[in-house]
Amino acid sequence: MPGASLMEELRQLWRMRALLAVMTRRELAARTAGAAGGLLWLWAPPVLTVAAYFLIFDVVFGMRLGAHAPTDRVGTFLVVGVLAWSAFADATQRAMMSLVDAGGMLQKNPLPPVLFPARAALASAAVFVPLLVLLVLLYAPMHHFRLAVLGVAAMAAAQLVLGFLLGYLLAIMAAALRDVIQLVGVLLSLGVFLSPILFPLTMFPERWRPLLWLNPMTAPVLGYQSALLRGEWPPLAVWAVIGVWMLLLTLALGVAVQRSRDQLVDWL
Amino acid sequence: MSATGSTTEADNAPLRLEGVGKAYRLYDSPRARLKSLLTGRDLHHSHWALRDVSLELRRGQCLGVVGHNGAGKSTLLKLITGTLQPSTGKVLRRGRVTAILELGAGFHPDFTGRENLYFGGNLIGISREEMARLEPQVLAFAEIGEAIDRPVKTYSSGMVVRLAFALVTAVEPDLLIIDEALAVGDQRFQKKCIERIEAFRRNGCTILFCSHSPYHVRHLCDVALWLDGGQVQRIGPTEAVLLAYETHTRLSAASGHQAAEASAQASEALIVPTEDVAATLDSVPRDVSHPPVLADAGSAAIVSVQLESLQDPEPGSHEPALLAAPDLVAQIVVRGVGDECPNIGFMIEQSKGVGITSIASHEEGAAPQRQPDGTWKSVLTFPDLPLHSGEYVVSVYLFDASGLVVYDQWYQFLHFRFVAPTRMPGLVRLPHQWS
Repeated sequence: MPGASLMEELRQLWRMRALLAVMTRRELAARTAGAAGGLLWLWAPPVLTVAAYFLIFDVVFGMRLGAHAPTDRVGTFLVVGVLAWSAFADATQRAMMSLVDAGGMLQKNPLPPVLFPARAALASAAVFVPLLVLLVLLYAPMHHFRLAVLGVAAMAAAQLVLGFLLGYLLAIMAAALRDVIQLVGVLLSLGVFLSPILFPLTMFPERWRPLLWLNPMTAPVLGYQSALLRGEWPPLAVWAVIGVWMLLLTLALGVAVQRSRDQLVDWL
Repeated sequence: MSATGSTTEADNAPLRLEGVGKAYRLYDSPRARLKSLLTGRDLHHSHWALRDVSLELRRGQCLGVVGHNGAGKSTLLKLITGTLQPSTGKVLRRGRVTAILELGAGFHPDFTGRENLYFGGNLIGISREEMARLEPQVLAFAEIGEAIDRPVKTYSSGMVVRLAFALVTAVEPDLLIIDEALAVGDQRFQKKCIERIEAFRRNGCTILFCSHSPYHVRHLCDVALWLDGGQVQRIGPTEAVLLAYETHTRLSAASGHQAAEASAQASEALIVPTEDVAATLDSVPRDVSHPPVLADAGSAAIVSVQLESLQDPEPGSHEPALLAAPDLVAQIVVRGVGDECPNIGFMIEQSKGVGITSIASHEEGAAPQRQPDGTWKSVLTFPDLPLHSGEYVVSVYLFDASGLVVYDQWYQFLHFRFVAPTRMPGLVRLPHQWS
């Protein structure tokens, strides 16, 4: 039964949660090992990127969006989607590479493969969640600290799960065929245009809009925009689409884990 | 092995394999692999690296696994360590399993030795608190000193393997898996490693030792498993299994198909020479008048080997020197480590054929004599050399006091001719009597 293998892996992941925490901390430390700035370099690039968006579009050019947008300021709008997308792309890409990168370790240590994409997704979350908290503190005054802003936490949790499921699925596929890595790199570059990140959903031509739902981040981005820009709980449709994506990815991952479990390490 | 264990012993056996097999799925291309993953169709053909292996190791037993390259030894070890899943059968492990495979391979070069120590400990199930308790003895064993707080990328390769060995053996396992050669640091550290493994064994640790070296399997193991083509050829008491294995190897070599491989296997050892010695061996001359010179004068080494009564061949002749006496007398001078009395091995083979005899001082209780200059000397005599006419080659080995650590070897370093006082064909003149 396909789901049984995945469930067993998830149970193993829970049993080895202490090791997972150690591995996540080490992953973060390894990214900046040898740098004088240390862990600061984990946060500096995304902070500087979103700060640049804000300064250029809102302060320097003072660009404005149309009436149906969740906010009229372009920079403020872009920061929400770009940060969420950066977190998603980072988690997905690192999780996808995690098994190929850990091939040597998996061939010498009896560790469950699921540890590695989970570590990548958690390490990515450790970088981006503090930035989302910062964003909440900066945006909450716009709508007088409404409770709905807490919807960001639910979106972040959903995004973490989506990033892990998709990243692990892609990691198995990348182990089978390395071309997957190149293909996903291209898709992540294009994905930012196929989502309501650079433009509000209302600005997309109506006949093209259904295409946006092929991007697993469309619903979370709409959820973030709703909570941060409007101070409203993400609409039901957003939750429904996220649920469908999770279900589909879980099923696909269950099948992939089942079909690859006896040979995954050989592929690495 | 399995047949002799009682029910209770069987239940507590650190290792039990029941009909274990491993098939690698081979695909024509990576694309076919992805297609199979996506569609669930069987697009592979199977290569069975291991079939139907059943065995049981009780506490304190040492199993040597021998076999040619591709016999399935590494697959068996990976299945036992749990990095591979069996295609058929079951692998049942009990207690802590430690594998000495590629030492230090998991260390991150940018992290300090201490950081790698704690992370490595986590990977093998040693908690941070336990590692904090074990740390002093690990560091003392590894002899890393203050370098423990330096990035591992600044370590020598010897320091890395010393730290890794000290880490993986910090906690005594129930089952210790050792794969192939153990090139761990310098000679002194190699000896420490062997002593730790021996101590584990004395304490009842079960050992699975995979090697190409029948010599070390014979010395370390009480049971042996011979794998060939992924299948069990023989399993049982070491001597019986090795006899069958060596006979098979020699027959194969004689048929010309695996001559080179058999020769290489005969010379491989559990403890390989250090890099310095290995480098020197590459340049070992074949002429006794130009003995090898060791780069590291402080380590144990063969200093000189002299065969008496060798008559140089005619100038321009391609024949080796002629042994112009009925006796073969070899004077061997070696340098040991401190006051430890070393042991000396000597092997005679046909120049282009099979081994004839090998002799070691520790096997016969014939310790070398200490010389005034601190070296050790043995004079080995084969009275009335019982060989038929032919060309022969000799090798000399230097062992530690236990006979397990090979400090140095001059492998096939001297060829000689011998003319026997008989016209009868043959190889060895065996003691005999007519009546």
